[in-house]
Amino acid sequence: MASQSKRAWQSKHCLLRHFCPCKSAGMLEQAIESLTAIWKNERGLIVASAGVAASLYFLASKIYAVREKSQLRKKWNSAPKDVVILHQLPRGKFTPSISPFPLKLETYLRMAGIRYENDFTEPKSLENKTPWITLNGEDVADSQICLELLADKFQKDFSCHLSPEEKATARAFQIMAEDHFYWTGVLWRWVYTKGKTLRQIHATFAPPLSLKIPLVCRRMKSQAIGQGLGRHAEKDVIEMGIKDLRAMSHYLGNKSYFMGEEPTELDCAMFGMLAQLVWNMPGSPFERLLNSELPNLKRFCERMKDRFWSDWDQCLLPVPL
Amino acid sequence: MAGCWKKPNVSAGKDVVLLHQLDRGVFTPSISPFPLKLETYLRMANIPYENDFKDPMGPKGKTPWMTLNGEDFSDSQLCLELLASTFGKDFSSHLTEAERAIGRTFQIMAEEHLYWVVVLWRWVYTKGKTLWAIQMNFPAPLRFIMPIFVRRMKGQASAQGMGRHSQEEVIEMGMKDLRAMSAYLGIKPYFMGDTPTEMDCAMFGMLAMIVWCMPGSPFEQHMKGEFINLKDFCERMKDQFWPDWNQCLLPPRV
Repeated sequence: MASQSKRAWQSKHCLLRHFCPCKSAGMLEQAIESLTAIWKNERGLIVASAGVAASLYFLASKIYAVREKSQLRKKWNSAPKDVVILHQLPRGKFTPSISPFPLKLETYLRMAGIRYENDFTEPKSLENKTPWITLNGEDVADSQICLELLADKFQKDFSCHLSPEEKATARAFQIMAEDHFYWTGVLWRWVYTKGKTLRQIHATFAPPLSLKIPLVCRRMKSQAIGQGLGRHAEKDVIEMGIKDLRAMSHYLGNKSYFMGEEPTELDCAMFGMLAQLVWNMPGSPFERLLNSELPNLKRFCERMKDRFWSDWDQCLLPVPL
Repeated sequence: MAGCWKKPNVSAGKDVVLLHQLDRGVFTPSISPFPLKLETYLRMANIPYENDFKDPMGPKGKTPWMTLNGEDFSDSQLCLELLASTFGKDFSSHLTEAERAIGRTFQIMAEEHLYWVVVLWRWVYTKGKTLWAIQMNFPAPLRFIMPIFVRRMKGQASAQGMGRHSQEEVIEMGMKDLRAMSAYLGIKPYFMGDTPTEMDCAMFGMLAMIVWCMPGSPFEQHMKGEFINLKDFCERMKDQFWPDWNQCLLPPRV
């Protein structure tokens, strides 16, 4: 065994002399021999030192993260009274958010004329949901809970003119969009196209962040299976999504907004979801449907964009020229 | 109307549906909303069928599932649509496109949203204990592995999203769904008017769970008060499509 390793060592040195046929090869050989000797004699010390260094680095980065968070918390808590801090993902290339729920909530803030500031550094709440808000030092997660809280606090009610039956219908459509159709979008984006469209619609999904995409795909697939839709064949899922979109289109009809000629809270939710189809699902069967059979849904999105997002282009990343 | 009990060693004949589902419940023919929906639809559409209670979980891990002319199909909604197409049944043909759209949304509200409230209450908040009251023949060893099922259902609800909310928030969401259903039903006998449609089978499947299979839940009381029209709807569907309801329970009632 000793003679084998010696022959391997000599062979390696021959290769070295072949590729560096000059005085530096000799110096390099000496350096390698010294390092090997140090490793043999001080292996335990080296490993222990590396462990200590790694632990110190880990501790330092944790302390830094805690300090950063504490500074962010001070900043959020010191926001002016009744100004909402909206925590969400960074801007998309074609929409202010590539997720329907932040877009819904931000659209609502604009519709209700509620002052707000964006925070893109901490998009996930403690419950791992996005978006979430901080208002007067208090954190609230889930877009719908946030919306209802804001409506109550700022006394905004865009649905007061609706009958109980119409309000019920509005709730049903919102749930269809956010609890059913949403999953067909998730499956298309993360499972059927394996997350590949992310790079097209979001600038910050460059490497190394894009290396995480397969992990996210696996997690989303698992969530969709837990929810139920992920257990169906792709063609069945797409068909279910198409049926949802047809129902939305038939109900919208020729109206400007889903519940009539003035927008309500429901329209923020529908816009958040449908905007993903119009601008963020390139090549999907849903995009094709909105461009062919169901143009009224696309027109609805354009209408909401024009009304509440006059600065749409400035809310994209990168900002278009 | 096809009988409630599977005839032993008899396979379903041509164009006879073999419906695979969980065994009968103490208070409802099924303790799960989807088998109850599908079996109610089979009765509404007068499609001959037989029950199989031995093999309730289908190839996709879902119940119910059915076999028709040698071919297996999963998912209650896909089964229903296939049967409608195969047997030429359409109970919604008189509705406008907008009305059919509304019907679809309420069905989805029941099956994709309220359903998770029921799951969380039954499996997580009450840790599966009410199952012993509503289903007779769970094997005794199941009590010991119940925590595994509880954890699995909790994981699924968390994946769906509702499981990440507090119990208080979830119950409130359930109340809002029921309030919306009650408001939309109003004084109509069925959700879409004077005659039952396919979505009534779905609504009945889900609401029957709340009326009869969630003893002690915060919803049970409201069904006798604020949402009384939903309870009346369930009684109406039961009377119309389940005259043999008592014989389809386990144990059967006289």
